Amino acid sequence: MIDDELAIRRVVRNAFQDTARVIDAATGAEGVDRAAAERPSLIVLDLGLPDMEGIDVCREIRGWSRVPILVLSARHADEEKVQLLDAGADDYLTKPFSTSELQARARALLRRAATEEGQGEPRVAIGILVLDIAARTLTRDGDLTHLTPIEWDLLRVLMTHAGRTLTHRQIFREVWAGRQFGDAQQYLRVYVAHLRRKIETDSLRPAYIFTEPGIGYRFASAGDFP
Amino acid sequence: MNRTRPGWAQWLAWAVATAVVSLLLFHFRDVLDKAHFALIYLLLVLGGSVASGHRVGLALAATSFLLFDWFFVPPYNTLTVANPLDWLVLVAFLVVSVVAAQMLHRLQVEADVARARAAEIDRLAPLESLRETHRLQNALLASVSHDLRTPLTTIKAVAHDLVRVDDRALVIEEEADRLNRMVGDLLDLSRVQSGTTIASVAMTPIDDLVGAALQRVTGAMPERTVQVHLEEGGTLLVGRFDLTSSLRILVNLLENANKYSPPASPIGLSAVRRDQWIVLTVSDAGAGVPTAERERIFEPFYRPPGAPPDRGSAGLGLAIARGLAEAQGGTLRYVPRAGGGSEFVLLLPAAELPVRILTL
Repeated sequence: MIDDELAIRRVVRNAFQDTARVIDAATGAEGVDRAAAERPSLIVLDLGLPDMEGIDVCREIRGWSRVPILVLSARHADEEKVQLLDAGADDYLTKPFSTSELQARARALLRRAATEEGQGEPRVAIGILVLDIAARTLTRDGDLTHLTPIEWDLLRVLMTHAGRTLTHRQIFREVWAGRQFGDAQQYLRVYVAHLRRKIETDSLRPAYIFTEPGIGYRFASAGDFP
Repeated sequence: MNRTRPGWAQWLAWAVATAVVSLLLFHFRDVLDKAHFALIYLLLVLGGSVASGHRVGLALAATSFLLFDWFFVPPYNTLTVANPLDWLVLVAFLVVSVVAAQMLHRLQVEADVARARAAEIDRLAPLESLRETHRLQNALLASVSHDLRTPLTTIKAVAHDLVRVDDRALVIEEEADRLNRMVGDLLDLSRVQSGTTIASVAMTPIDDLVGAALQRVTGAMPERTVQVHLEEGGTLLVGRFDLTSSLRILVNLLENANKYSPPASPIGLSAVRRDQWIVLTVSDAGAGVPTAERERIFEPFYRPPGAPPDRGSAGLGLAIARGLAEAQGGTLRYVPRAGGGSEFVLLLPAAELPVRILTL
């Protein structure tokens, strides 16, 4: 828990006192040091630290660790969320939040960190969709679905990061790597809309690709389906 | 605006306002909840701080605190408090109103400094000054958000823990959420009224906007049917707008439609292309808006005449919505619906798609 405000540190400590050991740090530098020494399984990072920008704390920890980072911020600005996610933060909670919200986000991050160990599977199945990465095919409820090359890469990136919010930039960087792109970046949302119309039952009430306004997209995780 | 030394006329005006508000509230003492009194007094404090400076704001905060305790916290007509939980309401009220008055003061002083500096730089380097003003404005908004929202987080967390002991603490948690929404609304209103245009305009499919809006409102109104009509023929409609701002407008229109129409009647949402515009229409089968009120509904702090006191907001939604529409080169207006009810029509600039991108 990296936060300079005692009141918030106390709130976080209370939220986790029954389930975890909480380590406090009141400055960014102390937070980075203690994270390196204690190797926590989750970092809760409040922005607005006295000594360092939160984004630099994120980058520094990401330099040597994959530990999930949950950011707390009082600003409700999209640019800030995008910058933090691009810098390696895993999730973002805006103040004021409730204790149960904080606990739920932390649980989700820990669960995801545990399943991501086994990434690199040749086949991803979520709901009625099965993506065969080696064969480059998608089946929907058993039926082969035709996708254009860009749609296929887009779906591959989203499905292999299921449950995680990807920023527009992160998606673009992965899908258009090695492609001639020119002005393609501005059409990313249009490609997603076309993809939705192919895989969703009702593209206005999507069950797979969720829009995170101002940030990017998130694919449903396998656990969202019975 | 007189920020440093309010004249006696302003002091008198605010004293009268306080008396009138207290009398009105006193009249509804048996109907309203304590949290409602706190919110209305808070609006008074915010109004005083904005219009006449922080001296008036702080004086109003102290007076409201005492009046609130004396008249509206049982036992009545004493300063003693019977229920210990009421202390939480009182203290939260005092903290939030003092912090708010101080912050508004700091904001105004710093804005004055920023304006003076901007004017200074303006003569030397016009472009640089714009960037500097924008940076300062952002820094100010960030510090206001931080100073108001951090105490709200603590209040919320403590209330959450108290629910186990007394379920009335739920009200404190809900009211903290409401205050947070109001802080957000006031910040948005100031942003919109400063006349800055929205920078993050991008090519965006209407599917994305409508889908995100439906997802956001479904939780709050599970019983309500929203009938969606998109352009016939299944063509993808694409506009050039900012998704976050447009989503706020659309969600606000849908929530209003939900509030002001009979629960069993469906809400309509349609999107079509007309020339250079994407036309989004939200319609309901409610009572509609009388002719005389049709422009006033877009003014800040507007309330429909005779609306029950607890409709959950400060009346800033439509003012912010119209400001956001115009900041992206669009418009928002009201038209009466044929057959009764309201129609809100949002126009956003349409965009052209090159044919080649669909086959890649």
